[in-house]
Amino acid sequence: MRPLSVVVRTGCDLFAWFLIVFGANVIIHGDVTPGGGFQGGAVAATFITLLLVAYGGKKVFSWVRPGIFNGMLIFGLMAFFLLGLMGFPNSFFYNFIAVPHEVVQATGHGVIPPSGTIALMDIAVGIEVAGALSIIVLSMFRGIRLFREGPMEEESGHDR
Amino acid sequence: MKKIIFIVAAIIVGAMVVGAVDSIRPFGEPGASPMDDYFIASALKDRSSENVVTSIVFDYRGFDTIGEAAVLFTALCAITALFREGRKKL
Amino acid sequence: MNNMLHVVVLALLVLSAFFALWFKDLISSVISLAAFSVMTALEFYILQAPDVAIAEAAIGAGLSTTIYIIAIRACGKVKKSDGGDGR
Repeated sequence: MRPLSVVVRTGCDLFAWFLIVFGANVIIHGDVTPGGGFQGGAVAATFITLLLVAYGGKKVFSWVRPGIFNGMLIFGLMAFFLLGLMGFPNSFFYNFIAVPHEVVQATGHGVIPPSGTIALMDIAVGIEVAGALSIIVLSMFRGIRLFREGPMEEESGHDR
Repeated sequence: MKKIIFIVAAIIVGAMVVGAVDSIRPFGEPGASPMDDYFIASALKDRSSENVVTSIVFDYRGFDTIGEAAVLFTALCAITALFREGRKKL
Repeated sequence: MNNMLHVVVLALLVLSAFFALWFKDLISSVISLAAFSVMTALEFYILQAPDVAIAEAAIGAGLSTTIYIIAIRACGKVKKSDGGDGR
């Protein structure tokens, strides 16, 4: 795909970063506000999609390295699985650091949120989903270039 | 002939959809809800998580979320294997 | 008020679904499908499910539109390079 016009690229420059900020906001506040790991990860993965549409494949593949998304995927999956495994003397996915609500109201809470593994699993799943959807879009885009042999035609996918 | 069959099938399916919508429950009143009441009461008290949906997804029903992550990982493996850059050009 | 909003959103839903089938141009059809997805997200938000609304808006209107457009571009190139469906 060739890059689009200057208007689209300027709009992408202005608005693309808000997708990352909004996705991180949804992920981090997953236990207090609507949304969670999957939703925030999907919003954050829209960022790479917007870059890909606005700037074309050649520039984006020179900017990003797909191994980073691979590492994000493996890190998120392993962190999620290990957090589930750590509550094992009681049961799988036992919430072992949750603080009851009366204690939180009496004393306040520190760095780790009082909902325990819920917030940590939110962050892990958010990282995993953002990496996985980015890999899907990037590898499907790379699949186009496998088929390219002749010169690039413009707008040849229409049904007319 | 084909159009008559299409019209008859459309009328039957439309009547079934209208009948199903007519007998639907009113909004916000599920049939049996002891499990929902337990979740809503104990999500804030025990786990101190204001968002009940996230506490169900990641705590009470965490094993299903493992399945969802496995589904995503399988789709990713399939797409990566389908679009890989091999030695032989297509 | 709420009932009126329901009626408007559902009518726009049916309209965008009709246009997604009616357009001969595939790009226009995909854009209409994205509008359908945005209307679905609005309907989920009205029905008090903001979780599903965020997921629907991000995946339906953002990711799947891009994936459809990438697939349309790829099919065009296959058709052009080796003859395709005999055009």
